[in-house]
Amino acid sequence: MLSNFAYVQPQSLKAALKQLETPEARLHAGGTDLLGCLREGIFGAKKIVSISGLNAFKGVRETSNGGLRIGALTTITQVERHPAIRSRFRALSQGAGEVASPQLRNQGTIGGNICQKPRCWYYRGEFHCLRKGGERCYAVGGENQYHCIFGGENCFIVHPSDTAPPLVALEAVVRIVGPQGTRSVPVSRFHVPPSEDFRQETVLAPDEMVTEIILPPAPSGLRSSYRKVRARRAWDFSLAGMALAITFKDNTVQKARVVFSGVAPVPWRSKEVEVAITGRRLDKETVARAADAAVREAEPMEKNGYKISLLRGVVEEELLAAQSGESPG
Amino acid sequence: MKNEEKGIYFAEGLAVPETPEPGKDPKPWKETNVVGKSRPRVDGYERVSGSAMYPSDYSLPHMLFGAVLRCPYPNAKIKRVDTRKAEQMPGVRAIISAATPEARVLWPYTPHMKVELFDSHCRFEGEAVAAVAAETPYQASDAVRAIDVTYEVLPFVTDERKAMLSDAPKVHPAGNRVGPTEHYSRGDVAKGFEEADVVLEESYRTECEIHTPMELHGCLAYWDGDLLNIHESTQGVYAVQSKVAEVLDLPLSKVRVMGRYMGGGFGSKLQPGKYTVIAAILAKITGCPVKLFLTREETYLCTGNRPASNMKLKAGVTKDGRLTALDFSVVGSGGAYPAGGTLLVDWLVKDLYLCPNVRTAATDVYTNAGPARPFRAPGHPQGAWALEQMMDALAKAIDMDPVALRLKNIPSYSQARKGNPPYTTTGLAACLKEGAKAFGWEKRRKEIAAEKPNGSLRRGVGMAACLWVAGGGRPPSTIILKLFSDGSVNLNMGASDIGTGTKTVMAMVVAEELNVHTDVIQIEHADTGTTQFATPSGGSKTVPTEAPAVRRAAIHVKQQLLEMAAEQLKADVSDLRFKGNAIVHGNDDAKKVTIKDLKGLKKRGVVVGVGYRGPNPEGKVVNPFGVQFCEVEMDIRTGEIRIVDFLGANESGRVMDRLTFDNQVFGGITMGIGLGMTEVRVLDEGGSGKMLNKNWHDYKLPTALDVSPRMTSFPIELPDPEANITGAKGLGEPVTIPTAAAIANAVYHACGVRMTETPINPTRLGVMLSDRPKEA
Amino acid sequence: MEFDETKIKMSVTRRGFLTTMGVGAAVAVTGRYASGASSDETVMLPEEMAKIRLHVNGRVHRLLVEPRWTLLFVLREKLGLTGTKVGCERGECGACTVLMDNIPRYACMTLAVEAQGFEITTLEGLMKGEDLGRVQEAFLEHDAFQCGYCTPGQIMAAEGLLKDDPEPSPDAIRRGMSGNLCRCGAYTHIFEAVDEAGKRKRGKS
Repeated sequence: MLSNFAYVQPQSLKAALKQLETPEARLHAGGTDLLGCLREGIFGAKKIVSISGLNAFKGVRETSNGGLRIGALTTITQVERHPAIRSRFRALSQGAGEVASPQLRNQGTIGGNICQKPRCWYYRGEFHCLRKGGERCYAVGGENQYHCIFGGENCFIVHPSDTAPPLVALEAVVRIVGPQGTRSVPVSRFHVPPSEDFRQETVLAPDEMVTEIILPPAPSGLRSSYRKVRARRAWDFSLAGMALAITFKDNTVQKARVVFSGVAPVPWRSKEVEVAITGRRLDKETVARAADAAVREAEPMEKNGYKISLLRGVVEEELLAAQSGESPG
Repeated sequence: MKNEEKGIYFAEGLAVPETPEPGKDPKPWKETNVVGKSRPRVDGYERVSGSAMYPSDYSLPHMLFGAVLRCPYPNAKIKRVDTRKAEQMPGVRAIISAATPEARVLWPYTPHMKVELFDSHCRFEGEAVAAVAAETPYQASDAVRAIDVTYEVLPFVTDERKAMLSDAPKVHPAGNRVGPTEHYSRGDVAKGFEEADVVLEESYRTECEIHTPMELHGCLAYWDGDLLNIHESTQGVYAVQSKVAEVLDLPLSKVRVMGRYMGGGFGSKLQPGKYTVIAAILAKITGCPVKLFLTREETYLCTGNRPASNMKLKAGVTKDGRLTALDFSVVGSGGAYPAGGTLLVDWLVKDLYLCPNVRTAATDVYTNAGPARPFRAPGHPQGAWALEQMMDALAKAIDMDPVALRLKNIPSYSQARKGNPPYTTTGLAACLKEGAKAFGWEKRRKEIAAEKPNGSLRRGVGMAACLWVAGGGRPPSTIILKLFSDGSVNLNMGASDIGTGTKTVMAMVVAEELNVHTDVIQIEHADTGTTQFATPSGGSKTVPTEAPAVRRAAIHVKQQLLEMAAEQLKADVSDLRFKGNAIVHGNDDAKKVTIKDLKGLKKRGVVVGVGYRGPNPEGKVVNPFGVQFCEVEMDIRTGEIRIVDFLGANESGRVMDRLTFDNQVFGGITMGIGLGMTEVRVLDEGGSGKMLNKNWHDYKLPTALDVSPRMTSFPIELPDPEANITGAKGLGEPVTIPTAAAIANAVYHACGVRMTETPINPTRLGVMLSDRPKEA
Repeated sequence: MEFDETKIKMSVTRRGFLTTMGVGAAVAVTGRYASGASSDETVMLPEEMAKIRLHVNGRVHRLLVEPRWTLLFVLREKLGLTGTKVGCERGECGACTVLMDNIPRYACMTLAVEAQGFEITTLEGLMKGEDLGRVQEAFLEHDAFQCGYCTPGQIMAAEGLLKDDPEPSPDAIRRGMSGNLCRCGAYTHIFEAVDEAGKRKRGKS
């Protein structure tokens, strides 16, 4: 059961930022990941700062140039179903639809989803691991079947979000507010790989918060998709997945952003695949080359070698589907 | 089924079954009016309205909440337990540990292996160290966290495959063998292999599976003076009563256990836990009711499991499909205390198919892990995983249809039992033949063979068969039936309804015999204070155990009514019979009395019928049989599998309630999908030895999207007049035994990869697929 | 582009979203906060009980709670609404599913204080006196449960699903029910019951 904490519901952004200055204050949006972390005792919370009542950060609106601004408190369900996201940014709608379960999608927010804590069972369990200030990563030489095959260094988590990879593929930008004001960070630079800092998942400072996610206008000819493979068909995190945003011109890939889920500590952009397919038709040969390229740099651990063949399979399948237009975005 | 205008009796014209003379058994029902129909549950209203009170729902004035501190290590000695800080915390009323005099009682892990309730040597992660009672569950959990324990952490072994190594840490001083390897042998296995045209050998493994019923394990305990009352989520109130009475040294009559509703058990609630006794002690010390339900995480550690099985099977078959020899071995572990780590894993190898030469060996070892508890058809799904995949491989090797191969080896008697007693019925052949027809087995195999690959998708069909070693039911059971003067009925039965529909089936039996509506039957059950002795509900034995006793009790009521009528009509009992809601004279229809007008009944106000469960047929075996067929669609690039169709053909004697029958079939298949595809207990073997996935996120149960969108229940209803006086056999276990193997066989059919280890999902299958030679 | 929250008019607010989904919020709620009309922020201290107001099944309850108490704990142990079940307290089973403004959520993952301002519906709230609601009836008639412990959560998830999508396809039913585990494995009958309940709600049978 949860340990005790103080609780505040600030009525304004300004007041919320003030509250976040308290040491060991934790931000509560949808609360689904926060309460889970508190139950596991991953970290303590002296004070919970709930922003769930800040209606200004809920919902989706069009920008003047044809992009979208998604309030950080917009629920995953709302993101999944929003007509503009469905029609123009399909990968994001699909990614949102793959998150957890219906109830959690109804409660969890897009801001919270990209700020999730890792699901590594050592991190979530009673292990004082590196990421929690301990000495070592227990997944090394341990039960690492769900851990990363790319980007592992010191710590070998995978990033659990299904919305972040599509957002990276779609070149979205995160708006962050803190005591010093506002800043914008591309989602592709929002997550921190363990090689840079194994104690932190995102660039957010403890007294900052995400307020909005901004999607630039979708170029014409964009096909985007998100595909996720998991051990069970609902309520499960990605074993390997891929967000695609490809701009086609005359059936040839003009521009591609390819981002993997479930295989790296951050949403993992595969420049290798992007290079392998740009300027080409996605025929069988190109796709096979892209699949090879996708896993060339992979470094599997003892028990997650399956992710290599799995990822290859996902890449092949999704690229072929993209060419045939099965996943128009 | 609403009451009709006429009253609580069924319409006139419905036949009331014959009433045998006292001391004689009734004949099987020829035609039935109620039994065998689809009857929604008699307690359905309570379950869907929220008015059903599960043990965890009870609240009492001054009630406290209990919580248990558990050892975080797989093997450790407790050096010191410091509760001082915790005692000072808000709301805390009591803390008990090994130092508490009231808690110095012995807990029997088995009748021969008793340990202190709070043992100073914790041999598995999750062993109880201390417990708290506080005013809120939050405060109780705060206090548990504040107890300071000094452990001496010891080396451990958690993998049963390593427990036998010479350098493995010892779980108990005498070593890691629970006993000598158990051997079974018949015929001459070596000779059998010589006679075979094809001999195959394979290793198989099933992972450890955890019951995780939806309602947590636990109870609400309170004392009335020297009477201990317990509302426990249990499959058997009398089993809880006897163990708690033994541990606390109380007379049985002073332990009243109630468990009218319970939220699932699957074997893990056949017995109480230390938590039951802990709640009782906390209640005694504080003088308050104590509600102690475990957390979900705790239930993964200390409320049992289906042990992992490491199996080897060598099998010989002739070209014409005759099994010549089976040689099987298994290594398993029931955890840190004797708990049947290999129990019944070899049974199907010994008994399912005709085979003259069979040898099995079972080695049960200790490991530093939570003790097993019986889990739905103990041993059988594991054995089926090996045997039924082997049968599939043998069929392929001799180029025979897997159904046909099985049909060539149908036994009519139990080969594994002494004296080879015959089965009362062997439904195996009928399940195979008719099930295959209903599923379209041959047609689908032909279609798939002719199919061109559709991108990366492949289809496959698979099947597997089983029997269940028990499922015939047995004495004892005592039922009391009260018929009131208005014709309504009260049924008193000690057994629990664990969700299978026991109450509904019993009400249907009463309705059948007495020609009353099920609506007017009130059932009192699962209460040691007020209902009759019963063994726990489990092992597919509840219906065949209780239903015959219920029928006898109903007949006893009828016999008494006939006597009353005989007196009133001045006739001989043997000339009287029931007709509609009246008793009439055989020769003279005008000479009759309606039951409500029976003077004897009016005067007494009630007729009490008592029914006992009679013995099973001597020298015969009553077993249920089943076969399952499934179709899968798999993606050979990713290893994703979609089950598209499942059919369960089950021969369980008479179908009592078609609705709950089908539900069991679907539920068993669903649980088998879990064993086959999603469920694995992960222990940190190389590191801490701790369980890493003690939650429903990391330990994955099948969801609505994992089960087959199409499921068919196809009962094979063979009359079994010998089994018992209702003809019903058990169903709950056989429906889950063949599922995982059927899926594995379908996956093999789809892609040619033989999955010998559970679970079959992309984490295992992907590697197998990529290792296999590429298709053109 | 400088951030200025006062200028942003989100196209869809929480309530706006509900309206576009064709679901009217059951009650008019003036404020989200315990302190009522005041715009001061709510502050609850860890060791103290604070007053909150919950709208449950059409009634208003004023309660004293600790900030850490979940909606699940308060419903069951303080309001006696034990139809809502405890399965995991981790958002991993769905036994505690309730409707909050007609949307299914897990009561175990919702702090009681966070549930203020929502119209909360539990299984008990579906009853009309002693009569069952349509989903409950369909669950009973189709035997859409075994032990019945996950059933309240399943029924609430089905209610939410049908409010959102009155005519769900078989796939939509499976997906909509995928946030509720049933260890007994009654899913097949659950799908039938949800389908039937949808038909009844549409007046087709």
